[in-house]
Amino acid sequence: MDVTARPLAPSVETGLVRAHGLAAILMLFGALTFGVLASTELLVPDLAGGSVWLSWGRLRYDHTQGIMLGWLANAFFAFLYHAVPVLTGRPVTSLRLGQWLFGLWNFAVVLPGWVLVLAGFSQPLEWAEFPLVVDAFVVLSLMLAIVQFLPPFFSRGLEDLYVSSWYVIGGLVFTLLAYPMGNFVPELVPGARGAAFSGLWIHDAIGLYVTPLALAIIYFVIPAATRRPIFSHFLSMLGFWLLFFVYPLNGTHHYIFSVIPMSAQKGAIAASTILGVDVVLVVTNLLLSLRGAGIFPRDPALRFVGTSAVFYLIVSIQGSVQAQMAVNQAIHFSDWVIGHSHLAMLGFATFAAAGGLIHIWQRIPQARYNPTALNWAYWLLFAGVVVMVTDLSAAGLVEARLWGSAAPWIESVRAAAPFWMIRTLSFVPIAAGFITLLVGLVTGDRGAGLLAVEHSIGLEPVEAIAPRLAAASAAEAS
Amino acid sequence: MNGRLLRMSYLVASVGGVGFFALSVLVLGVWPGRTLEDQTRRMSPDHPLGLSLSEQRGRVIYGRDGCAYCHTQQVRYVGADVSRFGAPTLAWETRFDYPQLWGTRRIGPDLSREGAVRSADWQLSHLYSPRSLVADSVMPAFPSLFEGAPDRPTQEGRDLLAYLETLGRARELAGPEGEARARAASGGMPEMMSPVLNASPAKARRQGDHPALAAVRDPGRGAEVYRQNCAGCHGVRGEGDGAGAQGLHPRPANLAEHEYTLDRLGFALWNGVAGTAMPAWRDLPPADLSAVAGVVRAFYAERREPAIPAAVIELGARVYAAHCAQCHGEKGAGDGSAVGELRVVPTNFVTQRPSLAASLAALRNGIDGTPMAPWGGKLSEAELSAVAYFVRGFYNP
Repeated sequence: MDVTARPLAPSVETGLVRAHGLAAILMLFGALTFGVLASTELLVPDLAGGSVWLSWGRLRYDHTQGIMLGWLANAFFAFLYHAVPVLTGRPVTSLRLGQWLFGLWNFAVVLPGWVLVLAGFSQPLEWAEFPLVVDAFVVLSLMLAIVQFLPPFFSRGLEDLYVSSWYVIGGLVFTLLAYPMGNFVPELVPGARGAAFSGLWIHDAIGLYVTPLALAIIYFVIPAATRRPIFSHFLSMLGFWLLFFVYPLNGTHHYIFSVIPMSAQKGAIAASTILGVDVVLVVTNLLLSLRGAGIFPRDPALRFVGTSAVFYLIVSIQGSVQAQMAVNQAIHFSDWVIGHSHLAMLGFATFAAAGGLIHIWQRIPQARYNPTALNWAYWLLFAGVVVMVTDLSAAGLVEARLWGSAAPWIESVRAAAPFWMIRTLSFVPIAAGFITLLVGLVTGDRGAGLLAVEHSIGLEPVEAIAPRLAAASAAEAS
Repeated sequence: MNGRLLRMSYLVASVGGVGFFALSVLVLGVWPGRTLEDQTRRMSPDHPLGLSLSEQRGRVIYGRDGCAYCHTQQVRYVGADVSRFGAPTLAWETRFDYPQLWGTRRIGPDLSREGAVRSADWQLSHLYSPRSLVADSVMPAFPSLFEGAPDRPTQEGRDLLAYLETLGRARELAGPEGEARARAASGGMPEMMSPVLNASPAKARRQGDHPALAAVRDPGRGAEVYRQNCAGCHGVRGEGDGAGAQGLHPRPANLAEHEYTLDRLGFALWNGVAGTAMPAWRDLPPADLSAVAGVVRAFYAERREPAIPAAVIELGARVYAAHCAQCHGEKGAGDGSAVGELRVVPTNFVTQRPSLAASLAALRNGIDGTPMAPWGGKLSEAELSAVAYFVRGFYNP
């Protein structure tokens, strides 16, 4: 199926696209601030002056929850309000429901979650730090999201669903199933047994929530922007089903060499290895679909998602290697893993979400659009990710080396300090990148995005298309 | 026909997808859980100690403030972990942990056996101001758990301390019987049942002889080691007045007022000083210990000793025999008959000589936080000075 052959669905709720898109970026600044403060506190530990609200642990909780639920989820919702009508030719269930979902997600989940964590109400569970009361609203919102986005797929029939649709359906359904696993079960099942479930969720959060929705965006944007079908639908579907079969089986690889039965650990290691192979299939298909567009395509949306696919490949191969016992033994617990998770969330997921956001923004009539700023955003973010991930990976190797020696523990903290300094400095290009991303979406000429799409002009200066824009407006007015 | 086939295949795949998700929960969650439950039953002592209310509240604070995001509570079955932290964490040790606090990142050390590794006043001082004790620590300070001073914790501060002191406690208390039981039931993984429950070098265990320190002069390295590890409590000039000294009882030794033999320093550095906040420093290489011993010995400036009349010495000997020898020993070696009942070992005057001023001050005022009582009102001025002179004569460098 060729996504671009279909005319833009008139039923796209552009108000909700804009609302979620802007909320995503605003919350991204919040999550970024928490992250920068936490990383600075490793350099200046008394930065918070003893304020418990701003102590490292609470900032760390808010940073990751903010990225996952504030930035990415809002960006995904924005994308779904555009993509679901386009993919199905049918409107989402209800505008009213969308307003409720927007309100609940931002004002009953993310904002109160942040405040409650800072005030000392939280769970010490990775990727599940918001307190139980907020988790209840997350589950409710996920149910509403399913009601909002999935009926159009089913009313249309499943015969010729494009792969993005499969990822959307899978992502929403499995996130709802997996979320309670990490957020509720460890409160009821103690210690090592609870950790087994935590391990499942730590991986499902990335594998069944972030990855499917990010891939849905990449699979959507590439054919829409290149105006060519995806390279192989067979590979698409193979990749999709393998991913959903294998991803959930990875969880225990976060607890290798623990007391959790060795057979479960080995199963998870095997699944992690297969997953790497699957991702090679998926990304090969994506990159072959990008043939001819260049390594850095002119369309900023296409460039973001193309790079996202490459980050996805690297981070997944990294994941397969990290799960191997010999590697895991050394790098587990170290900054290497922090580098890995930033490559996943800031490299792969954020680049996909940003590309998706730019893509749908281009298609909102009369939305402002500034391709120069978006071009800057891309390069700043790209530089920031590369510096941060390289730096943290090196830090992890140094730490692993010292931990394996007889050196006192504090030596590893001393050795990490210069790496932490560079990591904190990588905030500069990253923050600048996010600011220019926002600038790219709120400045520039109204309708410049649509014009760029219609003429496939990517980064052509606005002056060159101004006459055509005027003509188009005149035609619309008459 | 084709459409129907496709629909069927999607249906099968969808059911399969949900099935795989359910499978993952079964094989990576439920089934390991049953195995772990069974393991817990077989390896656990019959009545493992749970947490008191105060300890449970402390656990909530530990979770709330993200302690588990820098400190794991899980020693892995990995040589590097075991040699640093002790025996791998068994399932039964975490049986009361709702929710689990294993952690996946170590910026600070693993804490699964932290209980009794450090003294209570060390822990409180460290929570109040980590860098006053560990110069290069990046741990956040938690002054909100205190009323303005490290020895004045709030209820929350006491709760958190109580929780920290439980870490590893149940396994310690289960003792050799518990270990034997776990070993017998461990079946597939006996190779990593480390005989050392807690490998923390900071835990004062009298095992292994302390290394003989060399009388080296390496002021550069020694000063660096001293700054990083010692100055926080003992102060930059060794006067026992570092920022970390504030909340410690007894106070850190005033190194400028004592002469130490190398052997005495080697013993204290290797084993720590029981009953005080002074931890063992076995994780430092012996060369560093020698270098820092050189720095410590240099703090004591030689001063002119007045000539002591024989009569004074004789009075000192009499007073000492009457009042001091029970604890400090007849020959001043800190080995009197009462030693076994004391929380802090009495000073051994053979290996450590206080300055006259320090000796007099200790006699007059006692030493806070130790069994050394003040003798100011009980002995006459002449007796005090006589015994202060007398004890300095035991020193045998």
